[in-house]
Amino acid sequence: MDLTQAYNYDSFVAEKIERWLNFSASPALGLPAPDFELQTLDAETTRLSAVWRSAAYTIIEFGSLT
Amino acid sequence: MAVSSLDGLAARLRDQKVAAVFVYTHEAHPGEHYPHHTSFEQKLAHAREFQRRFKVQRPILVDSLEGTCHRAYGSMPNMCWIMDRAGRPVYKADWTDAASVERAVLDLFARADRRRDTRLPSAAFKVELLESRPRDQVAFMKGLEVAGPKAVAEFKAWALR
Repeated sequence: MDLTQAYNYDSFVAEKIERWLNFSASPALGLPAPDFELQTLDAETTRLSAVWRSAAYTIIEFGSLT
Repeated sequence: MAVSSLDGLAARLRDQKVAAVFVYTHEAHPGEHYPHHTSFEQKLAHAREFQRRFKVQRPILVDSLEGTCHRAYGSMPNMCWIMDRAGRPVYKADWTDAASVERAVLDLFARADRRRDTRLPSAAFKVELLESRPRDQVAFMKGLEVAGPKAVAEFKAWALR
């Protein structure tokens, strides 16, 4: 199974979800965080850095409909 | 499942130069109505539906199909980060709680005021804090029903294991 398929798991079962829960290895506080390309709902390309440069602080919530 | 609990806070903080965005990830609880993503177009469509259904006011940014951004930040289903203008995290939480985020933002501004008042250079240090949030299981299960019966059944089975 490739990465894209594994990340987009089809069932909420332990063996498919728990491998992704890796908050303890997430970027450290106070150090530059990784920047990524993202798409707006109008399918325009932007970057996370474009967002955080626009304000003194930026709140970033991650999630999905389900 | 992420309900747009931060929209009110984001609106209140807009005048204080605080931005807020929502990054759309994989489906945490895929079900009959909103299955797992097999294309970016489908993921984009789910993100648009999320905005419509929950009337999300913050900009929604959609991660790549393989979750490049989400995975790099720890892949938690509803985590929350606050970044400074230089892209340094100043707060990170493995779950989103509006009250916790608000306390963090207010504290950031209070510290900035203190720095101005004392005129002394500041030295950063890290704090770990165990927070808690109200857990409304009825509302959570109702939210899962949006995904479909499969999502409800799988979550119940997972919770009982």
